[in-house]
Amino acid sequence: MSQGKLPLRGIRIVDFYWVAAGPRSSRVFANLGAEVIKMESIARLDLSRGRPPFRKGTTGINAGLGFNNGSVDKLSATLNMSRPEAREIAKKLIAISDVVTDNYTPHVMDNWGLGYDELVKIKPDIIQISMPVMGKEGPRSHYGGYGMGITAASGINYLTGRPDRAPVGTGIAYSDAGPNPRHATIALLAALHYRNVTGKGQFIEIPQNESTICYTGTAILDYAVNGRLQRGMSNHSPYACPHAAYRCKGDDRWCVIAVFNQEEWLAFCDVIGNPEWVWDSRFATCLSRKESEEELDQLIEEWTQERTPEEVMMQMQLGGVAAGIVQDGADLLDRDHQLRAREQYVTLDHPEIGVCHVDNVPFRLSETPGQVRHHAPLLGQDNDYVYRELLGMSEEEMDRLIVEEIIY
Amino acid sequence: MGKEETEKATALGDIRVLDLAGPAGVYGTKLLADLGADVIRVEPPGGDLMRSLGPFVDDDPHLEKSLYFFHFNTNKRGITLNLDTPDGQEIFKSLVKTADVLVETFPPGYMDSLGLGYEDLKTVNPKLIMASVTGFGQTGPYKDFKSYDIVGVATGGLMYLGGFMGEPPNYTGGFQGYHLAGSDVVSGILVALYHRDLTGEGQYVDVSMQQSVAMGIEAAMTYYDASKRIRRRTGRQVYRGWNEVFPCKDGYVMCGPLGGASWRKLLEWMDSEGMAADLKEEKYTFVLQIMVDRQMDRQVTSERKDPRQLAEYPEEIAYIEQVWEDFLMTHTREELYEECQKLGIRLMPINSARDLLEDPHLQQRSFFTDVAHPELGKTFKYQGPPYRLYGTPWRIKKRAPLIGEHNREIYIEELRFSKEQLVALKQGGVI
Repeated sequence: MSQGKLPLRGIRIVDFYWVAAGPRSSRVFANLGAEVIKMESIARLDLSRGRPPFRKGTTGINAGLGFNNGSVDKLSATLNMSRPEAREIAKKLIAISDVVTDNYTPHVMDNWGLGYDELVKIKPDIIQISMPVMGKEGPRSHYGGYGMGITAASGINYLTGRPDRAPVGTGIAYSDAGPNPRHATIALLAALHYRNVTGKGQFIEIPQNESTICYTGTAILDYAVNGRLQRGMSNHSPYACPHAAYRCKGDDRWCVIAVFNQEEWLAFCDVIGNPEWVWDSRFATCLSRKESEEELDQLIEEWTQERTPEEVMMQMQLGGVAAGIVQDGADLLDRDHQLRAREQYVTLDHPEIGVCHVDNVPFRLSETPGQVRHHAPLLGQDNDYVYRELLGMSEEEMDRLIVEEIIY
Repeated sequence: MGKEETEKATALGDIRVLDLAGPAGVYGTKLLADLGADVIRVEPPGGDLMRSLGPFVDDDPHLEKSLYFFHFNTNKRGITLNLDTPDGQEIFKSLVKTADVLVETFPPGYMDSLGLGYEDLKTVNPKLIMASVTGFGQTGPYKDFKSYDIVGVATGGLMYLGGFMGEPPNYTGGFQGYHLAGSDVVSGILVALYHRDLTGEGQYVDVSMQQSVAMGIEAAMTYYDASKRIRRRTGRQVYRGWNEVFPCKDGYVMCGPLGGASWRKLLEWMDSEGMAADLKEEKYTFVLQIMVDRQMDRQVTSERKDPRQLAEYPEEIAYIEQVWEDFLMTHTREELYEECQKLGIRLMPINSARDLLEDPHLQQRSFFTDVAHPELGKTFKYQGPPYRLYGTPWRIKKRAPLIGEHNREIYIEELRFSKEQLVALKQGGVI
């Protein structure tokens, strides 16, 4: 994919998203050509700027690989929002922009005079999008939260893993990487379409816990209707058998295999060479397989343990059975042929990190695919562009604001 | 519902979507429908395979009682159509003329083989936005591979990160692969829609569930890119010193030991209830601070505090954890959650679906919607929305369609087939 067209060129976003969930959304808009101006301040640094992972020998606020991946193609302007004059400057910027984002606790933007009711006076068709943890209203709306906890509180942990073990869930701040940035992106795009059609903007709220709950499938409906509490089932599925991760040759190497119907079962038996035991009555029908699932898993693992996960996946897939390597970071970046063919990882050169990899755009559009073009901005690197060019400040005025730590 | 409600603006009310999606895409078409799009679910005669997926109402495995189908097909209309027949393909093309978006999840090449690929449909409707979701994408060496949610979650790198070393990695529950891919296809469609608003040009959207998962994980790839190290699963200690999973009186909570960074405040609370044992002694507070510092230092300076330091105090750590866990067993998740919020301590409960349905916060926020199922004589509580667009609110207006429920509306009233023709089509296996 070379020079992709940039479909969102012309949209300007004043981006107060910080840390994780929000920036991953505004990043997509930047990749597709929107001018995303990340509003930051030395007085209140985006926490993800200082976070590992770092390349050996590097550190500091520009060199984090996670921050880089999350903010490619964005601009950065520093503005110390604790100062009243900064808020007036923010308003001037918003007056010439299309969207304002934030994922602060509720009322931070209101307290800065940048609530929707105020912004609408400056720009009637403004779209404002905010990501409060528990929503703007309600008994818990003042509660703080964070990705891993929000994921746990959403019900996803409860649905994951062995039911007799502590529900440790995904092991990552999944709500920050999965549901929340996506719902934010979708809501904002829908609002932009609506504005194209009607000329109207609006306020959008992405309550992080509710957005994450929406990724739990039928768990809530099953309890509401049937009184049944869905729970983690190890790696099994009520719809399929076999359905699990099987240990393979190598250090902590696994491959999943999933068989959903009789046709796939017969194909599976062929792949493993139709050993004696597949004819056993314990495994002949889907009901009997489910009843003997633990024994079945053990027998399958005797086969997989002699093979690498690559061999298991390829043999199964070529035989028409769904299977996949449980991939780690090295698999994803170095070994996976499909991700390479799909150009999932883009190589960028970063002044402090050096050559590194970032995720590509999350979908392939045939005419306007967008393109990942630049590494994440160094702190404040676009101050001249934003303040002198966009806002027309003189050099003297900008110098004063820098000295007074308003542009800071 | 009053007149005012039914006339409330919707963000996508001007869009029609033809929905051929299976599990890998149907969350996306649900999102489109719930934002007001006119989504027409096109099912094979006799109904969609998804209607055979449980759970079922009262565990009755009936095609009109699948909660899976109900949940993912809110607000949609439903017609039956056999795309394997020439009549069906022609009828489908007439529908494409009236549609803005088409979503499908068939194996790559299948729609082409029916004469209904993007190149074909583009000539029928140049403004069409056609979107495909598959396990691995439309291109590449794995494009014809079979995929289900677990294959997406494994090959995308999410599965490896969860669970306990020495045991198989955890398959995340709730169909994360399908949700991530279903979300990404909507984003792609809406970008295409924006472009079309400005230029009148349609286009094709290609989503790979594997890639959607790879982009839904935090830092596994960058961790490796930084220093060739593999990020592994760490069991209960999701981030030691900051996030662990602890049992309490009525379930589990997630927090650092003694709440992490603000452990002194929590120790005071424990002490006020006579549950602090000897923890206030310096030999324990010293170790507690190291446990927390180790995580905090990583945050602030990115330097790793020497892990051997913690290894020098196994007895103290064991004692601290025992006293802490004994304290937790005297409190419910709600008590811990509320008190820790007041103390400014990061602690969150691990909730089940029941906890969420009973949560007064979610109830007050009207997070659950009652949806009527007149045929069953019942009303069920559905979840949502994932976002609140104040100008164009999300809404569930109606339940998922019955099989062929809107055949008359679409075929007779809109496409102008006669009643006799409809009967002939039915008998011919076309609808």
